[in-house]
Amino acid sequence: MPSVAIFGAGPSGCYVAQALAKARPDADITIFDALPVPYGLVRYGVAADHQGTKGVIRQFERLFERQGIGFQGHVTLGRDVTLDAVRAAYDAVVLATGLSRDRRLGIPGEDLVGVHGSGAVTRAWNGFPGAEAPRMGRRVVVIGNGNVAIDLVRLLAKGASELHGSDILIEPGAGVQDITIVGRSPAEVAKFDPVMLKELARLEGCAITVSDLTGEGKVIEALDSLHGHAPAGSTKRLCFRFGLVPDRILGTERVEGVAFADGTVIAADTVLTAIGFDGEPGWSASDDGLLAPGLYAAGWVRRGPRGTIPENRTDAQAIAARIAADLPEGPGKPGLVMPGATDYAGWQRIDAAERAAAPEGRVRAKITDHARMLTLARQTGER
Amino acid sequence: MQIAVLYGTETGNAEMLAEDIADHLSDHVVTVTNLADFAPSEFDPRTLYLIVTSTYGDGELPASAQPFGAAMAAGAPDLTGIQFAVFGLGDSEYPETFNFGGKRLEEMMVAAGATLLGERVTHDASGDDMADDLAYPWAEAVVALAEPALA
Ligand SMILES: Cc1cc2nc3c(=O)[nH]c(=O)nc-3n(C[C@H](O)[C@H](O)[C@H](O)COP(=O)(O)OP(=O)(O)OC[C@H]3O[C@@H](n4cnc5c(N)ncnc54)[C@H](O)[C@@H]3O)c2cc1C
Ligand SMILES: Cc1cc2nc3c(=O)[nH]c(=O)nc-3n(C[C@H](O)[C@H](O)[C@H](O)COP(=O)(O)O)c2cc1C
Repeated sequence: MPSVAIFGAGPSGCYVAQALAKARPDADITIFDALPVPYGLVRYGVAADHQGTKGVIRQFERLFERQGIGFQGHVTLGRDVTLDAVRAAYDAVVLATGLSRDRRLGIPGEDLVGVHGSGAVTRAWNGFPGAEAPRMGRRVVVIGNGNVAIDLVRLLAKGASELHGSDILIEPGAGVQDITIVGRSPAEVAKFDPVMLKELARLEGCAITVSDLTGEGKVIEALDSLHGHAPAGSTKRLCFRFGLVPDRILGTERVEGVAFADGTVIAADTVLTAIGFDGEPGWSASDDGLLAPGLYAAGWVRRGPRGTIPENRTDAQAIAARIAADLPEGPGKPGLVMPGATDYAGWQRIDAAERAAAPEGRVRAKITDHARMLTLARQTGER
Repeated sequence: MQIAVLYGTETGNAEMLAEDIADHLSDHVVTVTNLADFAPSEFDPRTLYLIVTSTYGDGELPASAQPFGAAMAAGAPDLTGIQFAVFGLGDSEYPETFNFGGKRLEEMMVAAGATLLGERVTHDASGDDMADDLAYPWAEAVVALAEPALA
């Protein structure tokens, strides 16, 4: 049997496995992840109040439960095992490790207390092991004009009752009164998905104003119809501003505000930056994901940290087709069983424990203690 | 019976469901086809069509069903005598356009003269039901309705 190792159990790694299992049922496929839990940013990026989007997990569960794909968790490529060792043990190796370090603004004041990147914040709100949710002040400025910025704003604007059906245990916007979302470009070129904007019209306790609206298009229409949203008894305010280029974050130790290039100053107790992600993959891949014979890359780590789950699926399917064509027939390399790795049954125990602990109105209570995750993953049933 | 399951998808949920439905109906001759690879001119009156589609954007068809939707809108062939049913995947987080993808396809098919069997069934990604649990009884009922004409 030819053997395939996929590093990264996010959507890209899982979609590669899905397509490859279909094209090459003879292949022995194992997905490795640094965490004892699979699914990457579907679990730790996609917003807690968008459980429907997390529904792709049902497809991925099937890989491990019915399609014979292996899972080895708690294995970090580059720390627990070298790429050379993996390549020696597998006929094909796929790197699908993502890229989700927060891009920095690169302006003075960015390291003040109270300034946080969207990746760090969304990981914490999604219960990433060891990530502590930063305390939000009364006035929050969100810098960025993409869908992650909208996720931040929406979760800050929601009251506890609006988080029903999610898997977030804290109320991110507790104590928040004023939210300002600013973009450096005009509204017309903002990268918001209009559907994400329309969702804000359902906020129950937050009044919305939109300033600096120019141009036309679906985003402008969506913003225009948000302007003036004012549910009775609103306790929060959300303001959209455009065309403001951040120049400096003000404050001595703690953030006090943001100064923009045109002289505008917005007072703030907390500043969240949502201007994208970066990181260095340390290699470059050709269009079909090939790095070297038998070595492939897929998803964010290949294309850069942009694009949604459907885009990763398309990308993963193309790469799987290439691998399927390259993979030898007949017996292959033996694979690796990493000492200390956790398995899929271990994740199922964590999953069951999280669901069982869900409080009223929540679908799960994520385990955020890495050691506890490992203990559960390694429990063998009998005690 | 000859059955064709046609699916429209973006993240793969509808594709997995289409394959599950085909497995569930394995007493019949069943094919599974992405709507991206299917043209309105291919409809055949001896086949029962089960259409499984999700919804995206603002109640739009998912990417893989868009070319088919465009071809239907541009002037579908006369689909009189074609029997079909629709299962939609959606998310009640989008209440105003909940399951509009399936609704659109149903309307297009009916407008072209095709016969809808049974009622369109919808799955809610934010709900508790598994899509399979809703789809199997739907598929069985539709097959029973098609039996007199197509068996
Ligand atoms: C905050 C946020 C919200 C988002 N919301 C949406 C949304 O609503 N809808 C949508 O379609 N898209 C959304 N996206 C985009 C989507 O999450 C990405 O497109 C997708 O997750 C990228 O998939 P990936 O598999 O390439 O990377 P990831 O999902 O990041 O997966 C990478 C995996 O690799 C593992 N890994 C990393 N390094 C190593 C290593 N050295 N060894 C072993 N394993 C390793 C990680 O633990 C992780 O599991 C969102 C992204 C973010 C950041
Ligand atoms: C950006 C986006 C927009 C969506 N819009 C709608 C919608 O308008 N109506 C609806 O019922 N579902 C909507 N959905 C939900 C999907 O249809 C649902 O998640 C479905 O299970 C996806 O199936 P697929 O994987 O086959 O594409 C939307 C999902 C996303 C991510």
